[in-house]
Amino acid sequence: MIRRPKHELPTVPTANLVDIAILLIIFYMACSNFLSASGKLIPPTAPDLYKIEEPLITVSVDQDGAIMLQGHGAANAAEVEAVLSELLRDKTAEDSKKRMVMFKCDASVQRQVYQPVLDAIVHAGGLILAVGENREQ
Amino acid sequence: MRRKFKMRQLTQDAVPTTSLADMMFLLLIFFIMTTTLAKTTGFITDVPMGTKGAQQSSSEKSPSVVLHDGKITVNDDQDMTMQQLRNYITGLHLDRKQGDAKVVIISAEGVVPYQMYYETLAMVQNASGVVAIVSDEVEKK
Repeated sequence: MIRRPKHELPTVPTANLVDIAILLIIFYMACSNFLSASGKLIPPTAPDLYKIEEPLITVSVDQDGAIMLQGHGAANAAEVEAVLSELLRDKTAEDSKKRMVMFKCDASVQRQVYQPVLDAIVHAGGLILAVGENREQ
Repeated sequence: MRRKFKMRQLTQDAVPTTSLADMMFLLLIFFIMTTTLAKTTGFITDVPMGTKGAQQSSSEKSPSVVLHDGKITVNDDQDMTMQQLRNYITGLHLDRKQGDAKVVIISAEGVVPYQMYYETLAMVQNASGVVAIVSDEVEKK
């Protein structure tokens, strides 16, 4: 009787695969910028815009003219000003980084909607960080 | 003896981790698809506010840009296109000026979409100018 040598199938070690996947998930979770609760928003375009660090406070106006402050709906510019004044109360004029308010607005929104919001940010003592997309000249 | 050992091995408690990798990869695909790694672009502007009268007296020679119903009027008499305005702002050499001389007054009247307003603000900002906004609210005061 001839004994056949045992041929073991080669296996790929997959035990550490989960660890790698978890590390990658943590990375992507940390890097993700989820869309805010605001509706559809097409940002305006301009040439020579530079990269900016996102501040903690965000005000957005979607294409329907709905105002959102920190992801929550605001009834009007007066409400934005009141909430922002409270949020920026302890921020001194010298501390410009903490006074920054990111303003996202749909490109098609009309003046009657965005101007009172811009005024509200300024009146509350905020520095406007106007978000847009870079466009080739 | 051998049989007994085999039985013990089969009844050993273990957390099933075979499907864990599948779940992790599903999550990974989700995060890869939803992640935006591109940084936000824009500009920062510290808008000085005040009454219209006060602005005019403190910055008499400041160039003014009026946006109205899709048109651009500079210094109350010259109608310009966006490109002409860009050339005009660049020609002011605001980067060489200091203090109030850097100020460009921007006001909007009638129908002005945010795109137009934003582009004008960005233009002044990129030319190292200081934007002064005149709004309806200020005008009422």
